Amino acid sequence: MNRYLKYMAGAVLLVIALAAMACQQDAEPPAQSTAPTAAITAPTEPAAMTAEATAMPADSESTSMTNQGDSRLASVMSRGTLICASNDSLAGFGFADASGNITGFDIDLCRAVAAAVLGDADAVEYRPTTASERGPTMQSGEVDIMSRNTTWTSSRNATWGNFAPTMFYDGQGFMVPKNLGVSGMMELGGSSVCVQQGTTTELNLQDFIAQNDLDIEVVVFPDNVATNAAYTSGQCDALTTDRSGLVSTRAGFASPDDHTILAGTISEEPLGPVVPHGDEQWFDLVSAVMSMLIYAEAYGITSSSVPTAVTGDTAIDRLFGLEGSYGQEDMGLSMTAAQDVIRAVGNYGEIYDRHLTPLDLQREGSRNALWANAPCTDCPKGGQVYAAPLR
Amino acid sequence: MTELARILTYQGIPVWRHTRVIQWAAQILSAIVVVALVAWFFANVANAVQERGISYSFSFLSREYHTPIGDTFVPYEPSDTYLYAFGVAALNTLVVAVAGVILATLLGIFIGVIRLSGNWLVSRLALAYIEFFRNVPLLVQLLFWFFIMLVLPPERDGYVIAGQLYVNNAGVSFPWPTGTGQPIATLIWLILAVVAIIAGFVVSRRLSRREVETGRTSYPVLLGCAAAVAIGALGWLLVNAFAGDAPLAISTPEPQGRFARIDGGFTARAGMIVLLIGLVMYTASFIAEIVRAGIQSVGRGQTEASRALGLSQLNTLRQVTFPQALRVIIPPWISQCLNLTKNSSLGLAIGFTELTSVAQTMTQLAPPIPIFIMLMAAYLAMSLTWSLIGNLYNRRIRFS
Repeated sequence: MNRYLKYMAGAVLLVIALAAMACQQDAEPPAQSTAPTAAITAPTEPAAMTAEATAMPADSESTSMTNQGDSRLASVMSRGTLICASNDSLAGFGFADASGNITGFDIDLCRAVAAAVLGDADAVEYRPTTASERGPTMQSGEVDIMSRNTTWTSSRNATWGNFAPTMFYDGQGFMVPKNLGVSGMMELGGSSVCVQQGTTTELNLQDFIAQNDLDIEVVVFPDNVATNAAYTSGQCDALTTDRSGLVSTRAGFASPDDHTILAGTISEEPLGPVVPHGDEQWFDLVSAVMSMLIYAEAYGITSSSVPTAVTGDTAIDRLFGLEGSYGQEDMGLSMTAAQDVIRAVGNYGEIYDRHLTPLDLQREGSRNALWANAPCTDCPKGGQVYAAPLR
Repeated sequence: MTELARILTYQGIPVWRHTRVIQWAAQILSAIVVVALVAWFFANVANAVQERGISYSFSFLSREYHTPIGDTFVPYEPSDTYLYAFGVAALNTLVVAVAGVILATLLGIFIGVIRLSGNWLVSRLALAYIEFFRNVPLLVQLLFWFFIMLVLPPERDGYVIAGQLYVNNAGVSFPWPTGTGQPIATLIWLILAVVAIIAGFVVSRRLSRREVETGRTSYPVLLGCAAAVAIGALGWLLVNAFAGDAPLAISTPEPQGRFARIDGGFTARAGMIVLLIGLVMYTASFIAEIVRAGIQSVGRGQTEASRALGLSQLNTLRQVTFPQALRVIIPPWISQCLNLTKNSSLGLAIGFTELTSVAQTMTQLAPPIPIFIMLMAAYLAMSLTWSLIGNLYNRRIRFS
């Protein structure tokens, strides 16, 4: 009896082994033949993975179907909401107020995209994200757009997603309590500095310390709340983040006048919205919405003066879909999308004035003035805010 | 051949109704399903990863990390590699885990024992402690201690106790031995110190065995300590004589520079203190209940008998009740050690640069999947080590 079972088991195992071998033989030739093409697109990809991927043809097909067959624009429209990764604790940029509504400069950029695509600026689902969650959130593709005071860097561009035009130029600075009598960044040697985790800020600080050979103790916290609490209680002598963030943070202090923001910056921080990799049409669309905001201001159109009939000014008429086209059809936008956008959130200047001017972030004369005014000699406002011309 | 013939001519229960055949078939089938599921899962991940262009190579480990790590127990330079930085962070977690387990066990035993005290007030206080700390989420407790810590004055005008102990919201600094100019002399003396401690243990064990066997008072603890101190002191003098320098010196903390940051001595930084307090208070409440359950599992007759023999209450606990209770205590205690180790990952919420926090920072400039695989492997290794230690001890104290 026992022996009989042993043979049975042996036979079954043999069958399995044979089946496995057959499968491998099936899988190997295509793996080898596709390996060269795979190597061109991703030279660092280990060959084993390529083989594994091709060994499961059914799976790879179904995955690519969901990724390519279904464009992000289509899925946003069928969902009826735009999923926007945002900040909820940085006053002026993205901040949840007492009643739980998230408002801010970055938030209005998401609202503008929702207005363009869905005709409703309120059709946005916010995903408050911490700084260190941003990368994985973008890579998973679970959000349609991230507008969360995020610095455009080459490595983020390569791994997180595509950065739409820069909507705010920033630079990293330091804030210290006035009573310490520090007058410049170079005097920070021997101090301890609070910094938020998972930010370019953290990396820039390291470079600053290394370049200037300063003895600075770095204290890292995971979010704005803990970082600011540690700074205000004096656990660290200085706080570092983007200057706009410092201004916004200081405005929230009980006694803002006791703190001084040191002159100068240690980095360039162009901030703008990011969209996931893999859907160029969506990237183009989001970039065009940023253009609408910028050019509406350049043309002097505000939320209360959006034209609905031909004005005679070709550029304005083209922007608002009254004459000609700037590529709306190819991006999947309605011809009059800009009307919805500007009516809902206003032009770039209005958004800035609504959220950032109250924080004393001077726009005039800064990099955040419009470039559209710049190339001429008689426009002193010239800044760096620009996007692809709409034509 | 005859075997084969027998199989071919087998006439018994039909194969498809044979219990053992069915059992085997079920086993093999479920194995195939599991293997297929795992293979499908991996292929799926590999596909998604490839399509989104996420790298999962481990080559970043040899790159320079270039990011500060707040708390370090070993020298760390920003020019060190990712792998080394990962190790530095793992050591932080390990230090907190080991210190936390020791402190939580001591506190837990204390609370568990006084929970059984006949004194109404004391036992109710213990009960209140247990119910409070085990019913409030750990993260909430950690944030509570974090904000309590911030109430202390900043480093530049913190409390100084006896000119040696500095207490402020950046941490607690106290004098600490450091090596002098000759690391080899220090090392030799440290080895001698370990030898001295082992010798002390041996002496004390010998003497206590003699005491049990002969009944003569032999002072095992006192003489054991004396032996250890004597060997240590002798070693100190020898090293001093040969190296011309004391093997260790005491470094005292002192404020330095315009920011009055404390230098020298040993500084337990705020993040670590908060994390340790939170973990110890929380875990001790569970260990206290485990200890109480263990002690109560020992029959009442044991206590009564040892009291009748004239043992004091403390000696009853030490010699009779507790050793028997350990059999019940150890397995759940191991779980608490594991929990404490894993819970230390909450340190990132309060600014302690433990393993998870550093790993999260690493994902900024390095592929997240390999980092999280390493992270999981590191926690798994630590947990399995705890299990191993606990199970070895458990085997020793089991009734044979």
